[in-house]
Amino acid sequence: MHRRGPAFWLLTGFFALFVLFLYGPTITITILSFQGPSGGLTFPMRGVSLHWFGNLFEKQMVGDFSGSFQRSIVLGLVTMVVTVLVSFSAGLAFRKRFRGSAAIFYLAIASLIVPSILISLGIGLLFRVMGVDTAWYSSAFGAHLTWTLPFGLLIMFAVFNRFDRRYEEAARDLGATSWQTVKHVIVPILLPSLIGVGLFGFTLSYDEFARSLYTAGTFNTLPLEIYGMTTNVTTPVLYALGTVTTGLSFLVIALALVSTIIVRRRRERHGSDAGKAA
Amino acid sequence: MRRVDAWVTYLQVAPLSLVFLLFLVVPIATIVVVSFFDYSTTQIIPAFLLQNYEELLLSPVTWQTYLQTLEFTVITWALTLAIGFTIAYYLAFYVRSATWQTVLFLVCTIPFWTSNIIRMISWIPFLGRNGLMNTALLKMGLIHEPLEFLLFSDFSVVLAYVHLYTLFMVVPIFNSMMRIERSLLEAARDAGASGWQTLWNVILPLCKPGIAIGSIFVVTIVMGDFVTVRLMSGGQTASVGLMMMNAMSLLQYPAAAANAVVLLLLVLLTVGVMMRLVDIRKEL
Amino acid sequence: MARKTNGQGREWGRRKVLKGAAGFVGAAVGSGVIGAPMIWAQNNKNIVLRQCGTGVSAFNEIAEKAKADLGFTLQMTALDSDAVVQRVVTQPNSFDIGDIEYWMVKKVFPAKTLQAMDTKKIKYFDKIVPIFTTGKLKPDSVIAQGTAPSTVGFVEGKESTTFAKAPTQWFTMIPTIYNADTLGIRPDLVGRPITQWKDILDPKFKGKTSILNVPSIGIMDAAMICESAGIMKYADKGNMTKAEIDKTIEFLIKTKKEGQFRAFWKTFDESVNLMASGEVVIQSMWSPAVAAVRSKGIPCVYQPLKEGYRAWGGGLALAKHLSGSQLDAAYDYINWYMSGWVGAFLNRQGYYSAVLDTAKANMSADEWGFWMEGKPAQKDIMSPQGKLMEKAGTVRDGGSFYDRMGAVSCWNAVMDEDRYMVQKWNQFIAA
Repeated sequence: MHRRGPAFWLLTGFFALFVLFLYGPTITITILSFQGPSGGLTFPMRGVSLHWFGNLFEKQMVGDFSGSFQRSIVLGLVTMVVTVLVSFSAGLAFRKRFRGSAAIFYLAIASLIVPSILISLGIGLLFRVMGVDTAWYSSAFGAHLTWTLPFGLLIMFAVFNRFDRRYEEAARDLGATSWQTVKHVIVPILLPSLIGVGLFGFTLSYDEFARSLYTAGTFNTLPLEIYGMTTNVTTPVLYALGTVTTGLSFLVIALALVSTIIVRRRRERHGSDAGKAA
Repeated sequence: MRRVDAWVTYLQVAPLSLVFLLFLVVPIATIVVVSFFDYSTTQIIPAFLLQNYEELLLSPVTWQTYLQTLEFTVITWALTLAIGFTIAYYLAFYVRSATWQTVLFLVCTIPFWTSNIIRMISWIPFLGRNGLMNTALLKMGLIHEPLEFLLFSDFSVVLAYVHLYTLFMVVPIFNSMMRIERSLLEAARDAGASGWQTLWNVILPLCKPGIAIGSIFVVTIVMGDFVTVRLMSGGQTASVGLMMMNAMSLLQYPAAAANAVVLLLLVLLTVGVMMRLVDIRKEL
Repeated sequence: MARKTNGQGREWGRRKVLKGAAGFVGAAVGSGVIGAPMIWAQNNKNIVLRQCGTGVSAFNEIAEKAKADLGFTLQMTALDSDAVVQRVVTQPNSFDIGDIEYWMVKKVFPAKTLQAMDTKKIKYFDKIVPIFTTGKLKPDSVIAQGTAPSTVGFVEGKESTTFAKAPTQWFTMIPTIYNADTLGIRPDLVGRPITQWKDILDPKFKGKTSILNVPSIGIMDAAMICESAGIMKYADKGNMTKAEIDKTIEFLIKTKKEGQFRAFWKTFDESVNLMASGEVVIQSMWSPAVAAVRSKGIPCVYQPLKEGYRAWGGGLALAKHLSGSQLDAAYDYINWYMSGWVGAFLNRQGYYSAVLDTAKANMSADEWGFWMEGKPAQKDIMSPQGKLMEKAGTVRDGGSFYDRMGAVSCWNAVMDEDRYMVQKWNQFIAA
């Protein structure tokens, strides 16, 4: 492959700048989360303290972090799993031409376009007409799927695009059933992409605001709760929440990375070739 | 055999169709129906009127707003494509191990796990008059007065869009690139193609489906946006989504619905044209 | 979802117990140091009331105190005002008590998702500030322009959605908080006295001003400015004619094009951040938002102006589906809400509560003097959360309750021409 010539360093620099750009708000949030007890959400800093991190675990004046956080995490994870399964399955189907495929494709596109707020309202009304109470785990879950599935599906298109069918044929020639082919051939090859779809699904659902607005029922998800809190005086505790989220994410990723490396070293030492297929 | 295959295909696509049918088709149908309703200050009256559409389409404000939204969309699309392609290219061809690719993707995703509402608030202390950016530039002596256009301007709207949506471009393009056979690139090099020629004549064409998918993401999201544009322009720039929100806030659902239908048709048309150029399903 | 499970039978007994107990304990405790503590029935522990409203009044402390005093659970859900309205109209089962702004009641109540309250069951009905009943703060007051709360405060009958012209037995909402908005300024940055709404147009403040970004209210901010600048005079700023709307929007567009505005704010928090960060030095603002800026050590003044205030109010409304023991609990909650503790709690944040007498009994004389009578604070004034709000010796901006609420020029409103108004507002934003 490419040697580490000037192009490599140029691109690395570009990537670093891009990451810096992505982290612009995050850096601001991190700095401001160390505001003194009387500090606000903007500069100037009024002292430096850990006050707001402690405050994060106390009762807020308005709203409640822990309940809404739990709801959002559960909803995000369930949405993630369902998104991966459904879009993978649909991705397999879309490799063949079938009647109605164009309609479903354009529905997926429509799902991206129709303003979230109207989908939200529409689903809310639908539940009312059906006489079912809206809730974050039913109507909001459905609403989130209409957002994550089009992404999942289209990314599956990019993933299956030019997927080498010879692997499948080889598996079939070796007597594998279609189920075995999927399980032992397609899934391992596509695993990184599937993780990517899952990541997308979780991130989109966890941060979804408009689609939850009229579908979440009585209890708020985290984005709704935070928005509700901004209708009163908010404090740098919001930033503390951001900093803790970012910190924890880094920690989890670092741990995962270290354990992967350790596992891989061990395997290499034991001369096992398992896991190299991908 | 054929029969069974067809059944399997339908079974595979059934869950997706079911979700769309229940949570998408019904709401869209409702929106279409409501768009013909009449409304007054206090109520919505079931009717079949074209008035909502007439008021919408005959008003120069609508055209102006759609143009503004289109302008944002095109600028954002071009920028995210340029940046997204470069980033994807780097990740796909210069980062060697799958582990590192995953890690770098995660690093790019982490900022998005802090709620967007919090991030949006933080743009003020970042780009504002007394913000981090202006302070840094002032201290470095690059400017002598705080730059005002950094916040609450068209610039800041586009900046936020690029910030939010570049990854939507990176992911599909990256996936397309990963499917390109490395032997193909070696063949190109052996045939005497320069790096640029390989990029232009081999990689780019093979990434078309990924680019098309990423473009669909970016175009559709920006066209329907109302949050970013309101917050980043300080409420001073219009967007189609914002128009709808203004109507909805006064419970004028029929007007909002008519606008949604027009927007939906417009974007479907755009995507249809894009699909003419690149059939993303052809090479599945 | 968790709902009431309590039997109906016990309820009737409970009312009697309540009366007896209140009488007995009331006599025993007498009027305590601060106010008269109420004793409420406690045998309705399984009841859950879900309240949805804006963060402005969805305080957790109120829910906790309600639990302690009343026994039942109050679940507070905070949203922005638009979302509350949509939820009340489209998802009537997702809440039991809605916290809505008065100007939107005009649109929300006809949707038939709320039920009118029986004023006979409202214990302190006679003590409610008359702004919400007769409309007149003092017997000789003139009702201000706009959607004055009294004009949407009553309906003609239990099932009616027609607003009554004079008080009836059927109340649409119990007023919770209300206030009068004016311009907030950064005295350290404006560098000149501000006395009128039109001062926001001073070229000196180019790119450093803001008004509200809610179409129906932003246009009223603009109307206050227009009238002040002598551009035009309105018959009713809260109910403009098409011609008036045209002219106001024309004025707004011109001002916007000249670059006078920095940004428009929508949520409480945005107004605080704009001011605290110095992005804006003069903008229309709420009294508690000014207090919030000041609590960060940044000078900020809630500036009374010659033309008067633009007022708003919010209240609690009952969902249509409430009945039986849950409805009784809702009435208990409302009566408790007006019995003083909550009133004092809200007054201490710079809002006004609906029943003044009971709130007064729950505040110290110094607090009452500072917040309500415009007297200099004798001691430091603390927020309900125990943070220093104002130092001893300070006088509240705008003076006493009667000075402020008596100088209301206009109430937040929904116009008859709102369909046209939104179209014009979009034109302004697009310009």
